[in-house]
Amino acid sequence: MTFVRASLYGFVVLAFVSWAYILVATDSGSADIVLAKTWSNAGNFIRQLIGVDSPTRPAYLEVDRWLVTGRLALDTLAMSVLAIVLTGVAVLPTFLPGARNVSNGDLGGVPSRGGTLFYYVLRLAFTLTRAVPELVWAMVIVFFLSPGIVPGAVALAVHNYGVVGRLSAEVVENLDPGPAKALRSAGASNLQMLIYSIFPQALPHFLTYLLYRWEVIIRTTVVVGFVSAGGLGREFRLSLSFFHYTDLALLIMWYLILVIAVDLLSAWLRRLVTGKG
Amino acid sequence: MGRRELKLLESRRLLTLLLAGVFLWSLSTVDWRGPLIHTGGLAAFLDFFASLFPPELSPGFLGLALSASWQTLAYAVAGITLAVLIGFPLGVIASGSVSGSPRTGLGLAVGVRLILAAMRSIHELVWAVLFVAAFGLSSMTVILALALPYGGILGRIYGELFNQVPEGPLRALRASGASPFRVLLYGRLPMALPDMLGYTFYRLECAIRSAAIMSFVGIRGLGYEIQLSLHDLLFDEVWTLLLFMVGMVVLVDLWSSRVRRSLVS
Repeated sequence: MTFVRASLYGFVVLAFVSWAYILVATDSGSADIVLAKTWSNAGNFIRQLIGVDSPTRPAYLEVDRWLVTGRLALDTLAMSVLAIVLTGVAVLPTFLPGARNVSNGDLGGVPSRGGTLFYYVLRLAFTLTRAVPELVWAMVIVFFLSPGIVPGAVALAVHNYGVVGRLSAEVVENLDPGPAKALRSAGASNLQMLIYSIFPQALPHFLTYLLYRWEVIIRTTVVVGFVSAGGLGREFRLSLSFFHYTDLALLIMWYLILVIAVDLLSAWLRRLVTGKG
Repeated sequence: MGRRELKLLESRRLLTLLLAGVFLWSLSTVDWRGPLIHTGGLAAFLDFFASLFPPELSPGFLGLALSASWQTLAYAVAGITLAVLIGFPLGVIASGSVSGSPRTGLGLAVGVRLILAAMRSIHELVWAVLFVAAFGLSSMTVILALALPYGGILGRIYGELFNQVPEGPLRALRASGASPFRVLLYGRLPMALPDMLGYTFYRLECAIRSAAIMSFVGIRGLGYEIQLSLHDLLFDEVWTLLLFMVGMVVLVDLWSSRVRRSLVS
């Protein structure tokens, strides 16, 4: 408990220093909160979003605007599906060799030098990809791939590869070794043991994590779309810079519809995966 | 095999087909007419990885990377502290354990849960873009944008943790005449605290990433420097900054996992 207490005190000190830095050394704008101008600006922004004073009909009341932007919402959904499938395809063959108890032979089997090396390479890859946020990956990837939904999906997949890969490998490390050892003593080979014991035990966890990440990914699609120029994100940025605020309101509505739909879908699929449906 | 299991199996098979269909549809929305990798993309890709050996290691640039890392960390910590301040009271109400009358408690809880869901349904950078348009760019605007979705997730998790504590000690407290507030303060809170701490430390790691991408609206830090170096095609500088990013996340991860391990034992 002493470590926890020290960490807590450490965090409080860190929080004080951080807030002091932000209030003193950056343009904090904390004084703006009391200015009437700030609030009238914010009020204006909301009025413009709703389109109160706009001479034309607000975009969210036009059926054809809904249809045009609906196409972009579909693209965004496709980006998220592509991202989650890419993540799954990349993690599936690598999370077993990325688990310590598989590579060092704790589950039975002979540890090989190649397997150990592969374990460290995979762990490094999980850490590297996970530590860098999706938007930064997207900024790098647009140097290689043509703009559209693909670079966005790849950027999302790269980051989530590290997240899901690490979580799935940890699941394997915490598995009950009993069934695997039983198979082993019944004469199963290394590969058979992995395929018939470890893999089926870990699979529901892996799928659950993947579905959870889908909920995060759909929220982030708009953000990577800012730079990868695909789906709602691109249009979001354009509407903002051209001051088309009622269009922006419409895009936010689509964004919320997508987020709610994916949250519901993911919860339903998770129940199905764990068999508690 | 029972009828129910058979039904489950069938629905799973149907689901697999459905998901495969959805995947094919997502592929069909990709524009395959143009090249996937643009001209010079492959050369840029090779150049990017070649620049890792070695990254930019001049003392001047390392100093810059260090100060950028500090800026990002400061934003992350400030965001998380505000998120805890927002998430804690909302989490208490969301757990439905504040009021003596179950009906008002439940009504409040449902309302607050909806607010929490709304806060976290929008990504922090989208909040930031909107807030900057409404309030203008300042560090408080960005910290608020960071704290809203994080407060939403912390409030939800805190609420769930309050409800997952064992009933026994709570019943004992109630039997001795403690008010709902006392039950919360002396019963639920101490029992849920270790998990709450562990989860908050884990979220700090995510906040570092979120603070870094606030460069998109013009906030200084690691993301900002990465953007500048990418603009000038200085990939060796980009690698140095990425490695600082990785180093910071790994350090916080080690810290938070050690906190969680000492909480368990």
